[in-house]
Amino acid sequence: MSEGAHYRFPPSEAYPLNRCLYALKSDPAFIERFLADPVAATLEMGLTEGERADLRRMDRDALVARGAHPYLVFMAGLRLKIAAEPGALEYF
Amino acid sequence: MLVGAFAVAHTPQLLIRPETEDRDLVLRVHAAMGRVKRRLQELRPDAIAIVAGDHVEAFFLDAVPALAVYVGRECAGTFGPYRYRLDIHEPLARAVVEQGIERGFDLLYTQDAKLDYAFYVPLHFVMPEPARPIVPLHVNVYLPPQPTPARCHAWGAALGEILRARPERVALIASGGMSHFPGTDRYASPEFDYDRALLDLLRDGRGCDLARVTGEELDKRGNIELRTWITLLGAVGDVRAEVYCYEPSWHHGNAVVEWPLETA
Repeated sequence: MSEGAHYRFPPSEAYPLNRCLYALKSDPAFIERFLADPVAATLEMGLTEGERADLRRMDRDALVARGAHPYLVFMAGLRLKIAAEPGALEYF
Repeated sequence: MLVGAFAVAHTPQLLIRPETEDRDLVLRVHAAMGRVKRRLQELRPDAIAIVAGDHVEAFFLDAVPALAVYVGRECAGTFGPYRYRLDIHEPLARAVVEQGIERGFDLLYTQDAKLDYAFYVPLHFVMPEPARPIVPLHVNVYLPPQPTPARCHAWGAALGEILRARPERVALIASGGMSHFPGTDRYASPEFDYDRALLDLLRDGRGCDLARVTGEELDKRGNIELRTWITLLGAVGDVRAEVYCYEPSWHHGNAVVEWPLETA
């Protein structure tokens, strides 16, 4: 797969970042910890200062440039948004 | 025995609709999925085999299987307030993994992985009553390198042979598609014309052509999930597709399709 692909091989140096995004996407207990204390939660995941800053802003392009998987960025962001402002959702 | 074949979109907005999602469009897709449910009632399957691509839910980077089979008593998953627990048709699932491996496909199997929404969003809407046990079949679509379309097609052909030789009546569902680019700068501009051309090809009974597309092409067109459809096409062959709906939203080409099969 070329480097220009939308979804690329996740580089191993981005593993802690992707693991953090995965937890934000799929682990409700971690989301609670993150919302209560984002610094502690992201340190627990072993994120660098730069990664933590990009995550705080949910800066997709910067996170993807660091090797974050775009889908994980997308869903982690969505989960945090729903947690912050549940809004009007219709359940079928 | 293979008695039915369908492809169904699994966009989570079909299950939990935010205000940004056109309600009428969502209801039209629901109506098409309702047709699938009625068809499944008529076809009386003993089991539903569903091919889906995990959204980095069951399998994270600790292990990334290209092809996997859920073999166990039941499987479970959650999404928002939804809690799913579905029975697995264990003898069939076990036959698929054993015979798949005999045929040269190095399948991973799991008795414990979480079930991704790609499996249960379609089943939420199409599961006949009473509910049938399922066989969840995973194809890696989101974590490169993914299996090639040709490999998916070959696996589907083997899967079709395995299912046809079984005593159970089995319906096969491919979950996912069509064009969408979640998490990328292309999210708001899917390739709907590509989808429409592809549906024309499928209506003409030329599904096998899809075995020749490349992984690069699927990525470029927002159609990495079509690997599930290509797997199904390997199983059903060049049957003409009946398109129940194609509903492009601002971010996703939602399709519901049947390949009507000749059954005794």
